[in-house]
Amino acid sequence: MSLKNSTGQWGWLSKLFHWTTALVIFIQIPLGFYADSLKLSPFKFDIFVWHKSLGMLVLLLVIVRLLWRIKSTIPAAIAGTTLEQLLAKLAHGAMYILMLALPLSGWLVSSASNFPVKLFWLIPLPAISGPDEALKSLASEVHEICVFALIIILVTHISAALWHHLRLRDNTLKRMWF
Amino acid sequence: MGINQIGQNRLLVLFTKLSIALAAALLWQPLLAADWQSELTNSQLNFAASFQNLPINGRFNQFSVKHTTDHAALPTNLQVMVAVASADMGNLEFNDEIQALDWFNVADHSTAIFTSQRFEIARQDKAGIDYFAHGKLQLKGIEQAVTVPFSWRQINHNQVAMSGELSLNRSDFGIGQGEWATGEQIGLAVRVWFDVRMLSSND
Repeated sequence: MSLKNSTGQWGWLSKLFHWTTALVIFIQIPLGFYADSLKLSPFKFDIFVWHKSLGMLVLLLVIVRLLWRIKSTIPAAIAGTTLEQLLAKLAHGAMYILMLALPLSGWLVSSASNFPVKLFWLIPLPAISGPDEALKSLASEVHEICVFALIIILVTHISAALWHHLRLRDNTLKRMWF
Repeated sequence: MGINQIGQNRLLVLFTKLSIALAAALLWQPLLAADWQSELTNSQLNFAASFQNLPINGRFNQFSVKHTTDHAALPTNLQVMVAVASADMGNLEFNDEIQALDWFNVADHSTAIFTSQRFEIARQDKAGIDYFAHGKLQLKGIEQAVTVPFSWRQINHNQVAMSGELSLNRSDFGIGQGEWATGEQIGLAVRVWFDVRMLSSND
């Protein structure tokens, strides 16, 4: 298997980026809702340390992934109508934006809350804002709207992949699998 | 001039001298001994709790410092009163939480008081004097002996900058109980520092 992408196949580095971010996001979304539902306790703080750690990991992964994507060949679009291809492009673009907006807005919530954190109990995360209730509320709203948008797009993304694989029986899922 | 006359003159001189001494004492004493009172707008009382050994900074928005100096300008009495409910940790959720029973229990103990009548000079230079105030801190209904170091820097004849820093152990005062009691996550040591503008009330 090639490291780099080709016109017909994703290379293994792109695949690795895709599936590791997918895995972290699938832990991260329920973890975020769970952390938010807890009453203030040391356990809640620990869950939030995990949520923030994984969130910053997603941010890092997405930045590296985007840099790699910019440098890479993108496999040709799967056969479909122009509208389908446009919608796929929009969905992929939106997911990249949300994968950046979610950790960034979360980081802002954490900073504006005047709450310090050591990622994975090791790396102190610098604050990107001073204590600010108004900014905290705004960033929380953005974070929440983004997560619901991401859930909707993820459901569409997964449904589309399964539709291509199971009904259309084309190469869509295969070329992203190892 | 009879003996009696000399005696009367001496008595008059003595009386005059005594009067001058008394007048001087009355005039000078209040100018030298002084009562000082903090000016809230130019004063700060900060604290830093910690999470994962990283500081969470907070401040008390309502507090008052009273200080008395004697005719030699040395401290005789220090009293600090802090409205515990005014604690501001830059986060409304925390501000609500710390009012509760496990933390400050503001409902039962609204005021923290530090008093000291025993002062020790730590250091002295042209800018001012550094002291240790040995006293008692009453917080959440618990009284503990606490030493507060502070520097006393004259700004002008009736304004002084009083500042200092100390570390308190929150468990000494039962602050953070139940599941918060271990210092593993929220540290036990709390740094306290202050920069207070003191005004003389004798002018």
